[in-house]
Amino acid sequence: MSRFGKALASSVGKKIVMGLSGLMLLGFLVEHLHGNLKLIEDPSGAAFDDYVGFLKSFGPLLVLAEIGLGLLFSAHVYLAFRLTLENIQARKQRYVVRNNRGASTVGSVSMFYTGAIILGYLLKHLIDFRLDPRFFDAPHAAVQAKLSQPGHAAVYLLAAIVLGIHLSHGFRSAFQSLGLSHPRWNPLLERLGKFVAFLFAVGFAAFPMYYLFIRER
Amino acid sequence: MSAPSHDAGSGRMRITLKIWRQEGPNRPGKVETHFLPDVSPHMSFLEMLDVLNERLIASGLDTVAFDHDCREGICGACSLVIDGRAHGPEALTTACQLHMRHYSDGDTIHVEPFRANAFPVLKDLMVDRSAFDRIISAGGFVSSPTGSAPDGNAILVPKPDADRAMDAAACIGCGACAAACPNASAMLFVAAKVAHLALLPQGQPERERRALAMVHAMDEEGFGSCTNHFECMAACPKGISVESIARMNRDFALSFLKEAPDLPTGSSVG
Repeated sequence: MSRFGKALASSVGKKIVMGLSGLMLLGFLVEHLHGNLKLIEDPSGAAFDDYVGFLKSFGPLLVLAEIGLGLLFSAHVYLAFRLTLENIQARKQRYVVRNNRGASTVGSVSMFYTGAIILGYLLKHLIDFRLDPRFFDAPHAAVQAKLSQPGHAAVYLLAAIVLGIHLSHGFRSAFQSLGLSHPRWNPLLERLGKFVAFLFAVGFAAFPMYYLFIRER
Repeated sequence: MSAPSHDAGSGRMRITLKIWRQEGPNRPGKVETHFLPDVSPHMSFLEMLDVLNERLIASGLDTVAFDHDCREGICGACSLVIDGRAHGPEALTTACQLHMRHYSDGDTIHVEPFRANAFPVLKDLMVDRSAFDRIISAGGFVSSPTGSAPDGNAILVPKPDADRAMDAAACIGCGACAAACPNASAMLFVAAKVAHLALLPQGQPERERRALAMVHAMDEEGFGSCTNHFECMAACPKGISVESIARMNRDFALSFLKEAPDLPTGSSVG
């Protein structure tokens, strides 16, 4: 194996790729949330339709960006499976009695499960909109039609909460994995992580809530 | 663990021990129950196990094997998981420094060995931690001037750096971090060993090579990967901070970028 491959495949290398891909995916979510806000900003839906049209106008560049995004997701998901399996196998004989000392959190112990739920949700989300050819004809109408149905809205709501739980560990953890840690900044980073988790959970939960309860059908 | 209710000084306690017994490596193990009717609150946890072993010898039974050496919390030999926690319920305390006054009459205590594939059980509560020795050897040596004694002030070490290096060097290599880690990762141990030399000027010449070599040695031993639960820091009897793990991650990334590839002999590389 090359030196680069060896370093990348090491336990620290995997952490670095995991953290870096996670933060880059978070960058994508920032833009995604910004785009979605146009749904609420302009109830007529024209602003959102314009935004989708603007993205579509990039043509091949958009496809390239989507391929990049797909690779990021693949790396993140692949490492999640690999790390989880390896870590289970690193202790074949389990403890008869095991107690934590309160350092691990709901977010940290459920990373794999919340990630798996988000992945499942992502596939549904892609099928609902991105992969539906009718979506691009009337983006806003498609969103409204989908999220006005309580069953679909519930899935979107749940996914937003699960994303928040995932980020509650992921954000802070990524910085630690990348070696960005300093006693002066760590408490702030910890609070920022919780804030980011809350922000994205509430932010993405807002859309199903909006179409279910607020917006006149 | 309930609040101690015994009369300190004279109160004797009845303790039920549920102890992991295993005849040897790769043998099936099981939990064995022993009852001690007369435990003094002044005993250390290991002294209680000594009493148990004396009773076992008197009955002609096989004693419980467990690691111990200094019994004053500095050697890192004890390796018990007590009621599911490495080194037991007290913070910043090795199992040998845990005293029975923290328990109450009638308590039942579970005792198991440290568990990780890289720490195979030798017998009962004793595990083979030579994986840590191999990681240390992979780190290699520290370049230091030999010959005449160097001037005492030739190498200046800022006080904060010396303090941080000492914080990392406080690691006694007991392995509680790997035992407590949900992933059986030894990252805190390796990070402490990388950090205490990386923080000092004497550790600089091999700094990059050391971080890479020790991480690869750790992986080869079959420890899990860190996912930042930080249970290691909570379990560490010496209070080593996960700060050193971040430092090692940073060193690893930077050293990979900086380390000169293996060049053919004869080339001059600074």
